[in-house]
Amino acid sequence: MNLSYLELGPMWRALMRNKVGALLIAIQIAVTMTIVLNSISIVVERDKMMQRASGLDEQNTFYLTSTGYTSDFNAQNTVTEDLLAIRAIPGVVDAIQLNAIPISGGGWSMSLATEAGPDVEGTGTAVYMVDEHGLETLDLDLIAGRNFTANEIRWRQAAQPDWPETVIITEALALTIFDNVDAAVGQTVYIGNDEPMTIIGVIDQLQAPWVGWNNLEHSMLSPENMAFNSTRYLIRTEDGERDRLMPIVEEMLAARTSGRIIRNMDTLTATRDRSYRQHNAMIKILLTVIVCLTLITALGIVGLASFSVQKRIKQIGTKRALGASQASVMRYFMLENGMISTVGLVLGTGLTIGLNMLLVNWFNLTPLDWMYIPIGVISLLIVGQIAVLGPARRAANIAPATATRTL
Amino acid sequence: MLTMQSLTKTYVTDNVQTHALREFNLQVNEGDFVAVTGPSGSGKTTFLNIAGLLETFNQGTYTLDGQNVSALNDKQRSKVRNEKIGFIFQNFNLIPDLNLYDNVDVPLRYRGFNAQERKRRIEQSLERVGLAKRMQHLPSQLSGGQQQRVAIARALAGEPRFLLADEPTGNLDTKMAHSVMALLTEINQNGTTIVMVTHDPELAAQTQRNIFVRDGKVSETTPELVVTDKIAV
Amino acid sequence: MFGYYLRLGFASIKKNYILSLLMVVAIALGIGASVSVVTVNYLMSSNPIPHKSDQLYYVQLDSWSPHEPAREPNDPPDQITWRDATNLMAAGAAFRQTASASSGAVIEPNDADVRPFMASIRLNFADFFAMFDTPFLYGSGWTDAEDQARRPVVVLSKEINDRVFGGENSVGRSIQIAATEFQVVGVMDTWQPVPKFYDVTTGAFNDTEDVYMPFYMKQELQLSNGGNTNCWKSPEGEGFEAFLNSECVNYQFWAELPSEADKNAYMTFLNGYVEQQKELGRFERPLNNRLSNVMEWLEYEEVVADDAQIMLWVAFMFLFVCLVNTVGLLLSKFSRKAPEIALRRAIGASKQDIFYQHIVETACIGLLGGVLGLVLSLAGLEGIKLLYGDFMQNLVKLDLTMVGFAFVLALISSILAGLYPTWRACAVAPAAQLKS
Repeated sequence: MNLSYLELGPMWRALMRNKVGALLIAIQIAVTMTIVLNSISIVVERDKMMQRASGLDEQNTFYLTSTGYTSDFNAQNTVTEDLLAIRAIPGVVDAIQLNAIPISGGGWSMSLATEAGPDVEGTGTAVYMVDEHGLETLDLDLIAGRNFTANEIRWRQAAQPDWPETVIITEALALTIFDNVDAAVGQTVYIGNDEPMTIIGVIDQLQAPWVGWNNLEHSMLSPENMAFNSTRYLIRTEDGERDRLMPIVEEMLAARTSGRIIRNMDTLTATRDRSYRQHNAMIKILLTVIVCLTLITALGIVGLASFSVQKRIKQIGTKRALGASQASVMRYFMLENGMISTVGLVLGTGLTIGLNMLLVNWFNLTPLDWMYIPIGVISLLIVGQIAVLGPARRAANIAPATATRTL
Repeated sequence: MLTMQSLTKTYVTDNVQTHALREFNLQVNEGDFVAVTGPSGSGKTTFLNIAGLLETFNQGTYTLDGQNVSALNDKQRSKVRNEKIGFIFQNFNLIPDLNLYDNVDVPLRYRGFNAQERKRRIEQSLERVGLAKRMQHLPSQLSGGQQQRVAIARALAGEPRFLLADEPTGNLDTKMAHSVMALLTEINQNGTTIVMVTHDPELAAQTQRNIFVRDGKVSETTPELVVTDKIAV
Repeated sequence: MFGYYLRLGFASIKKNYILSLLMVVAIALGIGASVSVVTVNYLMSSNPIPHKSDQLYYVQLDSWSPHEPAREPNDPPDQITWRDATNLMAAGAAFRQTASASSGAVIEPNDADVRPFMASIRLNFADFFAMFDTPFLYGSGWTDAEDQARRPVVVLSKEINDRVFGGENSVGRSIQIAATEFQVVGVMDTWQPVPKFYDVTTGAFNDTEDVYMPFYMKQELQLSNGGNTNCWKSPEGEGFEAFLNSECVNYQFWAELPSEADKNAYMTFLNGYVEQQKELGRFERPLNNRLSNVMEWLEYEEVVADDAQIMLWVAFMFLFVCLVNTVGLLLSKFSRKAPEIALRRAIGASKQDIFYQHIVETACIGLLGGVLGLVLSLAGLEGIKLLYGDFMQNLVKLDLTMVGFAFVLALISSILAGLYPTWRACAVAPAAQLKS
């Protein structure tokens, strides 16, 4: 194939005579590529993180805190009666007392090990204290074993250090400890170094309270109610009933017992938003940066190409007079841009990988997927071509007669 | 007024040395109107650029108004151009974005005159070229001849002793060329020394002195005029 | 001449106004992004107590499990146990010292119109107020004697005093907290150190607490644990006392040590204390105590969020692209002006004149960009506040330093961007462009 009509040689030599201008565009494209690709990599990573399900029926779940403050406050009675009253409200699917709210940022964790002893390395897990209504309220599916029975549920007093005899764990936790879900049921695990608990069931999925934690999917259910003055209730409603029921439950509880306050009522969806807020913010900020940067670079290309066309009006006129077609004039500018972009993108590939290595090193980010690089290169080439289209078209419209006229 | 002795100017492009001027000698006296002619590439423009202190030279001496200019730095050269020399170009070189008033104002700004003095000079010089009424116009609104008159007004506003014209009528039709030539002759008669580069022998004939440049040398002079080829030192 | 250059500059900007706008917007975006992100980073890494940050030391004792460090590779836990906190206080070996912890309880205002509400509590010793120079609106902190006597005294934040006492001087009045009658001894003025250095365990940029009460009130009233509680072994025995005597860490400890000698002496004291505890069967790990001054501690705790640092990098690279963009556009613009420059040179402008003319034009663009950039950074900070909510609210205040920084950044970057094009403009040979 004869490519001589593309004038690549003369074009390159012409570029070399205006090195600085071309180099500036190339640098701009290179740094733009570096920022855009690394930002997109972060955005995708964060987005993936935000898509993870908590395991709960998030749309229909809310929670609140009840804090008794008088010296004669009876925690045990209050909890028992509160739960009966909440569960009796029409529209409520089920409700439990819960020591910590999944994905909320605050909770309890313990270490489980298959052997007793202080020097045995255990596996960290979030602890949720629930009664036999836990599975229904948290929307959990049992994939092995059984649920707690009502008489397995004990009362935990404030600052009580020991643990019940049975436990239900998540599939992820079961796989970490035993490599096999079915093998987990009936096994004994040791909590806090030496206290044995028997696994009676495995549930599909329930996230820990800390969304940034490595063991986010490690959760255990401990069969107990808490005789604490300050405690949380988690309520699951029927579809679409949550917002209607929230004030009803709040008022009902506030009215039921004096000497306590009901506070911090919130939905799980709001909790998710709050927990992932900084990631959501990062995504939005980086997307804004990507859009602005691409626009600025594209407009910069438009500006520089326009100048270059204006500067070469006479030269283009001459070419036209010598027989160049409109298409070939356009092609010249498009190819010139392509050439500059290519230099920039080669440079950009190096910079992108370099910055990514630094980011991975300093901030423990996930390394950039190599697929981003060809996609980024092609996208930016297209952006460059679109940017240069307008000026190139104007160049193509220069009349051949311009050559003979003095300006 | 202007003395050039053994001036040599070489350009180096792509490792090839080109002599633009070699052993160039010329004396122009106060009040002269000199036409410099010669074929394309003979060194006319180089001569003019050097005479106007737009370019430097490699060897020789150039004395303008008693001042050896080769020793001057950029700032001093700019000052000489500003105060002693007026330029007139073939393509006028007016600044398209500025109106006539502001175009004539340009050299006066660098001269550091106060606003009042500048106004007086601008109006006076535009009056002299007959364009006082069009001060607020942009160059593009004028004909070529009028544009050249503005350029002349700009050159005159600083009251230079010495006017350098490069093909001043090259872009003009015959009628306009004649009127511009008449204006230059009148300026010369009022005491301003003029050196004009042209390739038009008819135009050259209207001046007192003709110099012919070929291969970077003053190689021939018009017989009826006295021009020194070698200057007695 | 400056006025003339200014006029020429604006004329030139006006002539290519779309291009000029592009340059101004590019600089403004670059400046806006940089200034807002730098502001956040600047506040995150600012010194909250500059006049004595190098005299206040955070104490770490390695009371952790003999089988694993509290934090890899071999760092002590970032808080200490109740036992150690009270022992160090009893020893009183530093010029000033305070153990501290956070908690919460219900306040029942006397005024029936104000409903009981949950308040956050800072538990601390008398020295806390003097050590951290807390501002007082009314009254003052309590005394050592009141600490020792476990007197129910309280210092209110301005906000709580407004809420419960309508902003009056409440010193001497009583207030019901955690079902106990407390006496108000002081009302603090607004106090929000950024970062909230004295306790960063639950977030370095949180609000300060609602009320301050003697540390021992925790034991007296069995107040709940705020912040993070970490245990490497379960408490021995049941009940609140068992928990307090356990190896669980939930308490911060600060010592004020005015000189290097004081610091060394205190370190010696700490090591002696740990040796003595080892004899009691505690502290099974090798001696590994730490004293960090305020800035060292904030750095150790990495209070500057990674995301903020990543954004700082991105913002500066963004500014760089904007500047390169401006350089390119100015270069083209000035190169188109070459004939005019040549003419000006021919009729008497020196290189210096040309330089001034163009640098003034560049600076105009820079200044416009800077002003717009400042507006954009305010918008950017509002955006950050909106996106991040409470977490950032103490970190998005543009102070005079940052306004100055924005202007200097705008001017320097635009002049930097204009320098090369201007230099090229000056280099135009007067003769070259005059013949066409």
